[in-house]
Amino acid sequence: MSEALQPSAPVLAVDGLSIALPKGGDRPFAVENVSFEIKPNEVVCLVGESGSGKSMIAHAVLQLLPRGVDVVSGTVTVAGQDPSKLDGRGLRKLRGGNAAMIFQEPLSSLNPLKRVGKQVEEMILAHQRPAPAMAAVRERVQTLLTQVGLPNPELLEKSYPFELSGGQRQRVMIAMAMANRPALLIADEPTTALDVTTQRQILRLIDDLRRERGMGVLLITHDFGVVADVADRVVVLRHGKVVEQGTASDVLRNPQAAYTRELIDAVPKARLADIRATIVRPEPLLEVVGLQKTFRVKRGWLQPPREVLAADGISLTLHEGETLAVVGESGSGKSTLGRMIMRLTEPDAGAIRFGGADLRQPRGEALRQARRQLQIVFQDPFASLDPRQKVGDAIARGPMAYGTSRAEAMAQARKLLVRVGLSETAAGRYPHEFSGGQRQRICIARALALKPRVLIADEAVSALDVSVQAQVLALLAELRREMRLAMIFITHDLRIAAEIADRVIVLQRGQIVEEGTTAEVFTAPRQAYTRDLLDAIPGRDFFDQPGFAADARHIAGIESGIDAV
Amino acid sequence: MTPLGSAAAIGLQAISRIAQLVAVILVIATFNFVLVRAAPGDPAQVMAGQSGASDPKLLDDLRKEYGLDKPYFVQLVSHLGRVVRLDLGYSYRQRRPVVDLILERLPATLLLTVTAFCLALVIGTALGALAGLAAGSVLDTVFTVLSLVLYATPVFWLGLMLVLVFSVTLGWLPPFGYETINVQLSPIEHALDIMKHMIMPVTSLAAIYLAIYARLMRSSIIEVAQQDFIKTARAKGLSGTRIVVGHMLRNALVPVVTVAGMQAGALVGGAVVIETVFAWPGLGRLTFEALLQRDYPVLLGIFLILSIVVIALNLLTDLVYRLIDPRMTTGAA
Repeated sequence: MSEALQPSAPVLAVDGLSIALPKGGDRPFAVENVSFEIKPNEVVCLVGESGSGKSMIAHAVLQLLPRGVDVVSGTVTVAGQDPSKLDGRGLRKLRGGNAAMIFQEPLSSLNPLKRVGKQVEEMILAHQRPAPAMAAVRERVQTLLTQVGLPNPELLEKSYPFELSGGQRQRVMIAMAMANRPALLIADEPTTALDVTTQRQILRLIDDLRRERGMGVLLITHDFGVVADVADRVVVLRHGKVVEQGTASDVLRNPQAAYTRELIDAVPKARLADIRATIVRPEPLLEVVGLQKTFRVKRGWLQPPREVLAADGISLTLHEGETLAVVGESGSGKSTLGRMIMRLTEPDAGAIRFGGADLRQPRGEALRQARRQLQIVFQDPFASLDPRQKVGDAIARGPMAYGTSRAEAMAQARKLLVRVGLSETAAGRYPHEFSGGQRQRICIARALALKPRVLIADEAVSALDVSVQAQVLALLAELRREMRLAMIFITHDLRIAAEIADRVIVLQRGQIVEEGTTAEVFTAPRQAYTRDLLDAIPGRDFFDQPGFAADARHIAGIESGIDAV
Repeated sequence: MTPLGSAAAIGLQAISRIAQLVAVILVIATFNFVLVRAAPGDPAQVMAGQSGASDPKLLDDLRKEYGLDKPYFVQLVSHLGRVVRLDLGYSYRQRRPVVDLILERLPATLLLTVTAFCLALVIGTALGALAGLAAGSVLDTVFTVLSLVLYATPVFWLGLMLVLVFSVTLGWLPPFGYETINVQLSPIEHALDIMKHMIMPVTSLAAIYLAIYARLMRSSIIEVAQQDFIKTARAKGLSGTRIVVGHMLRNALVPVVTVAGMQAGALVGGAVVIETVFAWPGLGRLTFEALLQRDYPVLLGIFLILSIVVIALNLLTDLVYRLIDPRMTTGAA
């Protein structure tokens, strides 16, 4: 039944697609009347915020929609076939055959109990008829793993997913997807869970494979930086409707829809003209000297523990009103640093001084009093709020623990909620009633309720969509000015560091490899590692073009810096 | 790390593990000792009471004979000393080495508990998996209600009801015992005879565990079915059977193995009740009798053996766990 494909015939054609949500959802349709095409050797980016329905489209292509969510009108044509008209066998042939898919979270997308080589093997065995000889299959697995740039494939194919890094796992997913030379690759936010350098590598890999094989790629993302790097064409989606589509350069340079404009502006841009000047005050508020920490990871029954160096002589200073960005890839020890300063993790050695007092000595009540001055906002706003505690309580509990009366603390909580951009009524609701960005605002309000002098933001905006990121960053910048907060901003995203920080520390394997003012680090990085990180910023080439920079809006209030205080 | 260094490290780890085990066994032995003595009365009183004479002289003599006149602490130390030497002592009542008594009864108990455990595990997980895969269907509802009923049924009551129906009313199965006595049987007939005797005790003992594993497996399958890697498997174009066999079952078994491992020890406790109901000549009956007679050495011997069995089962669970889930070997999960 397969027709011969014309060279220019689209590998994917979506025409007037509407997908209904179950009754009682926030809108009747996940996706409404969406049409677009992908030709061979073309990368089309489907861009939109969470909830825009972009993943639904991807899932509809392979008939993978969850129960209760159905296509109500429109057609999908993949390599000449309509998946909805295929029987079980035909559909299985299409999935993983002509059209392969990779997902956002490679760890959970791989079977944790199966060696990765076996998982790739399975993809070949499920599709190739007659079944090839096992030796040939193994050889093919090796070739695939080599093609996706995995080192030492013989050893790697025997590994389990948990033994690999995030980037390696996604490479395995890609190897699997490539196994049967698909005409279409659907990549659903393939780099969102990865750090910047890995993201860069994975995007490059997808692009290389696309070019080599002339395959069409549907790439789903919320990040216009990614679009600028790899897309040929862009489809911008909002609330399930296409607001704009066109070639990548047209949409980026000359967006027609206001919403597209907003999304593009929301991309944090590491541009030198806007980088803040540093003000160094004589007395540091927080001083960290020679911090050491080694984690011992317990292994099997009879094996000695493995040692992981999380901090190897880290020293830093932080002044009042200053923002210090701590940048590094996953595993570089940046979160551990934040936790050690909070004394949530005990360092092995080194000194932490806060306002001249030793912060490593206090125990019990003294530690509790000291902690009041330092607060932290974590990465995952879903996991860091108690689901059974009302938002107002979550914020008021802190001050109440330090002796504020309940009435007063609640009044303050309501004020803070308004301050972070929510309404007073939010106090009486539960965390699940809020979106990710709103929850992160709640977490910020919770941290600020204690009137801390230092705020540690541990990847505080990494879990958020780019547009929401921009809003939360703007909020943090305002609050910092108002409250003369000193901030340690832990992030793997250099764009964000450049937007918000006065000074930057680059961490690699528990050591500071580069340190300086934001301008220094971004204009004249001394270390190759820092240059790698900078090169990995998605969309950097595009957004750094002189013509573009002039258009870009910038987070309000940052330019005025802390002098205005 | 050099290979030699790592071999030495592994050796050290093994030694420290074994030392831990010995310490655990000694602590358990101490605890058992205190527990057994905490029950009112002692063997001397029971024996003197049964002989009809509560003569203080006789009591003293009996106590002296069994070493019960010495201070508790001295008795404890000599008990622990015997434990270390793996000497279980002599039964007060039967005047035979405790080891012999236990070894005589152990096979019957093992036959009963191991059969019940395996049946419960295999049938329970199979039913649970079917129910989980068909979640929300009529089949699922029937299984769920059935397992709830089994779960809520007291073990001894189920045993008595089985006897009532299948032995008393229908006369199909022997109501108690391990084998038919006073008959000449060929080996095959003998085995069949034992199996026939086993049906009801094994069913009563297995029922509750079967229900537990079925419920656990059902929820585990439902949870695994929602995992991302199942979506990956579907996107790979695998057939339903391949997804279930190749990706779901093993992942779903992890919690079942954990619970089964923890409960394997408790199964012996259930055996005490069942062996009493069905007059099964196993360790459970021996325990029950020794308890009534305050036969301390027998009780302590049984407790010690059971503790060691439980520890061994825990180790075994650990190993099975590692076989199923590679993340366990490195502690990464």
